[in-house]
Amino acid sequence: MRGALGWIIRYGLAVAIIVAALFPLAWLAVAGFKAKTEVAATPFQFFPEVWRWDNYAQLLADEAFVRALGVTFAGAALFAVLSLVVNALGAYAFARLEFAFKRTIWAIVITTMFIPGIAIMLTSFIVVTELGMLDSMAVLVVPGAASAVQVFFLRQFFLAVPTALEEAAQLDGAGPWRIFRHIFIPLSKGAFVVVGATSFLLFWNSYVWPVLTVTDPELFPIQQYLATFRSERTSEQGLLMAGSTLAALPVIILFLIFQRHIIRGVRLSGLK
Amino acid sequence: MAVTSLRAARVERRAGVRARPRRESRAAFTMLAPLLVLLAVFVIWPLIHAVYISFFTWSFYDPAVFVGLENYINVVTDEEFVNSVVRGLLFSAMVVPVQVTIAFVFANLVKTVSRRMAAVMKVTIYVPAVISEVIAAIVFALIYTHRGGLLNWFLDFFGIEAIPWLGDTATALPAVAIPAIWIGMGVASLIMLAGLLDIPEAYYECASLDGAGPWTKMFRITLPLMKNVILFLLVTGFAASLQFLILPWLMTQGGPVNSTNLPNLFILQHFNTDLYVGYSIAAALLLFGVLGAVSAVIFRLVRSEKAMDA
Repeated sequence: MRGALGWIIRYGLAVAIIVAALFPLAWLAVAGFKAKTEVAATPFQFFPEVWRWDNYAQLLADEAFVRALGVTFAGAALFAVLSLVVNALGAYAFARLEFAFKRTIWAIVITTMFIPGIAIMLTSFIVVTELGMLDSMAVLVVPGAASAVQVFFLRQFFLAVPTALEEAAQLDGAGPWRIFRHIFIPLSKGAFVVVGATSFLLFWNSYVWPVLTVTDPELFPIQQYLATFRSERTSEQGLLMAGSTLAALPVIILFLIFQRHIIRGVRLSGLK
Repeated sequence: MAVTSLRAARVERRAGVRARPRRESRAAFTMLAPLLVLLAVFVIWPLIHAVYISFFTWSFYDPAVFVGLENYINVVTDEEFVNSVVRGLLFSAMVVPVQVTIAFVFANLVKTVSRRMAAVMKVTIYVPAVISEVIAAIVFALIYTHRGGLLNWFLDFFGIEAIPWLGDTATALPAVAIPAIWIGMGVASLIMLAGLLDIPEAYYECASLDGAGPWTKMFRITLPLMKNVILFLLVTGFAASLQFLILPWLMTQGGPVNSTNLPNLFILQHFNTDLYVGYSIAAALLLFGVLGAVSAVIFRLVRSEKAMDA
């Protein structure tokens, strides 16, 4: 498509896609500025009568809300670190080391990728119940840390590292641990950012597992807090919208900081 | 001097190679231990246990009784289950083609707009992908609000009467499909873009020299070479869309009259209401066993050499 018409169509479509992606979030944030009665007022109001920070201020002063954000933040950070350690070590072993039953173990690990959560939800619940993990940070952080998808991704990355570097180190008598620490970790920052950020997001956005395993409101992660708020305090829509906006902000900021890495990671996760 | 040291290095290296396996094997299993233990305890054992339970009438309170395939038979003959699967397929049919089309349009646009616009598009398309389903449910339910909602306000300009989007059996499922598309379009678009950028520019240049127009290029170069990427997106999109749970749970609780009771939600609600979980587990295993097997096969076909060459 050449010429002015083609230009208009291309840029029109491009803007339409951008608006479609961002508008719902903008709408959420605007609704957070509205007074109780304005959020779903008839007749409809596009913008609030008065832009008020009340909802946002009230939430940030609300102990339960701030605690939910804190719990989620701490849990997501722990989860990111734990899954990074677990999956990177495993991926390195598969990418670079020789050991017995390697193919079989690899096949088993890869197979776990295709087990949908709902099929093992109840039996996982039984496991964590028997381990006495209910209503703890551990139940939120530990069970999901090992991820075949991440092992797969990191292994691909490690396989692409030239072997010349470690051969030199091997001549100097370095073992697998030292090679991993001094050669692979420094080379893998980009891949680690992708894996860490993905885990952080996954934890931040998780809802079903916390609902099953956490009943103590003091341990509610933010999504559970929002969903509970929504069903219990139906008249406070403005607050809910402000809370949702505040809950979405950290991950949007995280994404914007690491967007270069994350976008590259997503593209690599396709067919390459 | 140089020759001897080189030979010494070679001998050392050979010795090193021989000494390596045992040391390596020990290191390997130490490194694998956390991964394998976590997978065994929280994924593999629960799966084995689930398969086992699915052959029993089992509850938290009574001793289990072996019933063979009874649970599975109950599942496949349960009209409600079959309906939820059909509904799930319908939902996928609403989500996946739209998502893949958006991704395709997106990828082709990014290639032709200015560099700065392309950069903005790549970032913004992915923003919805980082938003939780809970928040997506909240904001879309707000937009769909029957009286005082944004969508009905907008449609009012075209003289369209207010529609109870989530309250009408005819509109509820598509209304839940839209946030599903919104959440998933970022990943699909970026993967599609990567596939498109992989096509060598030279192909298009040659085609231009031969006088090919944009449509010829699209149908003779782009589409054939993108076949695998599109197939990959269709399959992964299908698997993902069939598993949406939080959106219908929070937006409609499966209603009205079950019109948004997607398979995962059906199973979850069964867990909640049915004391004997054998049925629910059999339903989950049956549905996703088939689905998992299908995606594993496709995965193997499409990227076999990478996945299985350990």
